[in-house]
Amino acid sequence: MAPETATLPEAEWFAEVVRDLERPLLRYAFTLIRDYDRAKDAVQETFLELVKCTASVDHGRPAPWLFTVCRARSVDRVRKESRMKALPTADLAERASSVAPPDTAVLALEASAEAARLLGLLPEREQEVVRLKFQEGLSYKEIADVTGHSVSHVGVMIHYAIQRLRKELDAVPQGALR
Amino acid sequence: MNMKIEDWQVTAFALGELSGDEAQAVAVAVAADPALRQQVEDARRRAGVLTERLTKEEAPPVQVSPVPFRQPAPPAPAWVRPWFTWIGAAACIMIVSALMLPSLSSSRMSPSSRPPMALDGPASKTSPTLGDPRVSSDWKGDFTGPTVSLATGEGEEVVERAIFFPEAKEADQNEGADYDGYLAGGRASSTAAPGLDRMGRRLRELRRGDAPPAVGVVVGPPRPDPAPPQPDIAYNTESYPNIVENAFLSAKENPLSTFSIDVDTASYANVRRFLTGGMLPPADAVRIEELINYFSYDYAQPTDEHPFAVHLEMAACPWKSDHRLLRVALKGREIDVAKRPPSNLVFLLDVSGSMNQPNKLPLVKSALSLLADQLTENDRVSMVVYAGASGLVLPPTTGDHRAAIRNALEQLSAGGSTNGGSGIQLAYSIAMQNFVEGGTNRVILATDGDWNVGVTNQGDLVRLIEEKAKSGIFLSVLGFGTGNYKDDTMEQLADKGNGNYAYIDTLAEARKVLVEQMAGTLCTIAKDVKIQIEFNPARVAGYRLIGYENRLLAKEDFNDDKKDAGEIGAGHTVTALYEVVPAGLPRPDGKPPVDPLKYQDSNTLTPAAENGELCTVKLRYKAPASDTSTLMEVPLRDEHERFDEASEDFRFAASVAGYGMLLRRSEYAKGFTWDALSEIAAGGLGADKNGYRAEFIEMVKKAKTLSR
Repeated sequence: MAPETATLPEAEWFAEVVRDLERPLLRYAFTLIRDYDRAKDAVQETFLELVKCTASVDHGRPAPWLFTVCRARSVDRVRKESRMKALPTADLAERASSVAPPDTAVLALEASAEAARLLGLLPEREQEVVRLKFQEGLSYKEIADVTGHSVSHVGVMIHYAIQRLRKELDAVPQGALR
Repeated sequence: MNMKIEDWQVTAFALGELSGDEAQAVAVAVAADPALRQQVEDARRRAGVLTERLTKEEAPPVQVSPVPFRQPAPPAPAWVRPWFTWIGAAACIMIVSALMLPSLSSSRMSPSSRPPMALDGPASKTSPTLGDPRVSSDWKGDFTGPTVSLATGEGEEVVERAIFFPEAKEADQNEGADYDGYLAGGRASSTAAPGLDRMGRRLRELRRGDAPPAVGVVVGPPRPDPAPPQPDIAYNTESYPNIVENAFLSAKENPLSTFSIDVDTASYANVRRFLTGGMLPPADAVRIEELINYFSYDYAQPTDEHPFAVHLEMAACPWKSDHRLLRVALKGREIDVAKRPPSNLVFLLDVSGSMNQPNKLPLVKSALSLLADQLTENDRVSMVVYAGASGLVLPPTTGDHRAAIRNALEQLSAGGSTNGGSGIQLAYSIAMQNFVEGGTNRVILATDGDWNVGVTNQGDLVRLIEEKAKSGIFLSVLGFGTGNYKDDTMEQLADKGNGNYAYIDTLAEARKVLVEQMAGTLCTIAKDVKIQIEFNPARVAGYRLIGYENRLLAKEDFNDDKKDAGEIGAGHTVTALYEVVPAGLPRPDGKPPVDPLKYQDSNTLTPAAENGELCTVKLRYKAPASDTSTLMEVPLRDEHERFDEASEDFRFAASVAGYGMLLRRSEYAKGFTWDALSEIAAGGLGADKNGYRAEFIEMVKKAKTLSR
C-alpha cells in the first residue's frame, strides 16, 4: 500500500469526526441547555450513540445526524432538570446559566468573541438556527430535520435573524467577503 | 405564478435554499423587480458577512474540556490518543450513569409522567418518544442487570476493555484483517497502541451489526427494535447521472461501435471515498471507464507522426470463459515537463459557504499550492473566486512569484452562497486576455459543484462552458468534498469544456493529478479523439462496450468534425474494453433473430470478412489547435490468447472492469466473485511504482466485506 494513499479506517474517521464536530456540538448543546457540564454530557452521549450506529451514519456528512441526536440528548437533559427540580419551564434558561460561570466557557467555545457577541443579540430560538445555518453549514431542510421546525419556519427565523443583525452586518465594508 | 412572495422566501432564495416551483416563482418576481433584486443582494451579502464573522477563529481554541480529546489537528499517527482517552472518558460516564440508573429508571419508565419539554419550539415534534428510533432517549430505563453488575463489580479499566474488546484474548492471535495490513503499512507508526486492530475489528463488527452484544453500556439498550437512528436519506444531496449499462449488440445488425475517449478519473477516487467510509457507492457513481483510466499502464509511446499510439490486445474474458475480452489502448506522447510550453492558468475557486469544510477549501489550498510549486517564470497564474460575488484575487502572476501565489491561496476563506456562472465568465475572460499562442490555456475549476444562485440551470451553465471552450481555452475540473457533491454537473462541464475531471479526496490524490500527471492534466496533445470499431460478423456474434455509457456517439458522428469528443493529455493512457462473443455462439442479447429484409440484402459479407480479422479499430483526432481530424486504422486478429497469457496490464485492467461491474451489481458479472477478482488483480500487480494498484487490492477487499 502506498503510504500516501492509505485508506481512512473507521477509527480514524471517528477521531476526525470528534475533532471536527466536538466543539460545534458543544456550543450547540450549550445554546439549548445553558449549562456547560450538562452540554458536555449531552455531547458525550451523542458520540457514544455514533459509535453504536456508525453503520447508519452518512460518513461523508455526519453533521446533520449528530446535531439531531445531540438535540435529543440536550432536550433530555433539560427535561430531566425540570422534572427533578420541578422548575417552571420559563425560568430554566436563567436558572441554568447561574449555576456555572458560563462566560469564559462560552467564549472559549465560540469561534471568536465577535461570534458570541453577535449571537447574543439574537433570541435563543434564532441563535439555534443561525448556528446550524451559518456556523455548521446545514441547509434549511437539514435544520428542519434536526430541530423539528418546518422548513418555512426555519426560513422565517433565519430571515428575522439577518434582519435583526442588519446594522451590524452592514457596518462591514463590502469588500470583506472575499 | 402571481403568488405573494414573502420576505423570508426572498432571503431563502438568496441563500439558495429554495427549489422547484417556489424558486421559480421567486426568480421570476426578482427578475421583474429591482427592489427585490436589491433585497436578494443584501441578504446574500449579509449572510456572507455573518458566516464569516461567526466562523472566523480569532484565538486558538481554549482547552475547555477536562476530557482532552480535542487535540489540535493531529497528524496521522496521533489519532490514536484522542480516541483512546475518549473511550476512557466514555467508560467513566457510562459507569457513572449506570450507577445512577436504578434510582432514575422508575420515574423514567412511565412516559405519562413526563413534564412538557422545556425548550421553545414545537415540542410535539421534537420531544423524544419511546417509539422513535431516532432519539431513543429513554434507553437508560432499559438497562439490564448484568450490565450494571459488571460496571459496579469491576474497575474502570476492565470495563473499558470489555466494552471494545470482549474477545480480547483470542484477538491477539487472530488475523487483524485490514487493520494489521494498515498498521504494517507504516501509517500508524505508533507502537503504543496495543489492541488497535481489535478496536478496528470491533468497530467493523458494530458497523456490520453482527457483533456479539458485548456489554450493554456501549452496545446500548437491548431495545426490542434495535433500529439505529436513521438519518433521512435526504441528508445526502449528492447527485449522479443515471447510467444504463451497455448491452450486448449483434455484430451483424450493429457492426459499428462508436465512442469518445475519456481520460477522467474522478469516479475512482469518489468510489474509494465511499468504501473507506464503510459504504458501498451508489451504482450510478461507478463509471467503469473512469475506474480503468485511473491507472496508468505501461503502453509503448508512438513512434510515428501521430500524437498517440494505439495498441490492441485480446484474450479470454475472465468472468465468462467462452467470451473474449478486447482491449483498445492509447498512449499519448510523453513530453518533458521542463520543456512544457508556456502556460496561462486561471484558478477558479469556489469559496461559498458549502466549501467551508476541512475536506474542501483547505484541501483546495494545499492541492493548488502543490501545483503552483511546479510552475516557472514561463507560466502565468491568475485566481478568481466566486461565492455570492465573484472577484479576481490574484491578477496574472508568473510562476516564479511563489510567495505571492501562496499568499493569495492562504487568504481565501469560505462564506456566502455560490454563483458558479458568473465566476466562470470572469475566469474565461481573464484567460482570454492572457491567451498564450501555442501554449497551454486552461481554466482550473475547484468546487463541490453545489451552485445555488445565479446561473444554476445546468443547461445554461453547460452552454456557457461549451461556448467558451471554442475560444481555445481548456478546462480542468477538480471536484472536492462530500455530502452535496454534484458529480453530474461537473462531469458534464468537463466534457463540454474540452476538459478533464478529477476528484480530489486527499492530498495524495492532488499530488497524483497535479504533480505526477501534471503534463497530462495541463497539456492536451490531441482533442476530439473518437474511436469507431467495425466488428466482422464472420468472426463476432456480438459485443458489449464496458463502461463509456455517457461517451457513446452515433456512427455518423465519427466523421463529423463538428462533433466534440474527449481530449488526451501528454503521457496519458486511455483504455477501453469490449466483451466479445465469438461467432458460433448464440445471439448474446438473447433476442430471437429478425426476419430477413424484403427490399435489401444486408447479409452479404465483403471478401475482407474472410481475411481472418476480428475487427478494425478506427480513430479520429485533431491537433489541439486544428479543426480538421486525422484518421488512423488498426486491424486485429484474435490469436486465441488465454487470459493468463495476456499482459499484466491487460489482466489488471480486466480486474478493474470486473470491480466496477460487481460494484454496479451488473447482470453481466453473474457468477463472477470478489475472490476471483482479487486473484486476477493480484496477478496483474506489475511493478506498481506508486502503489496505486496495491491500494486497489485493498479497495477490493473492502468492497468484498461490505458486499456481504
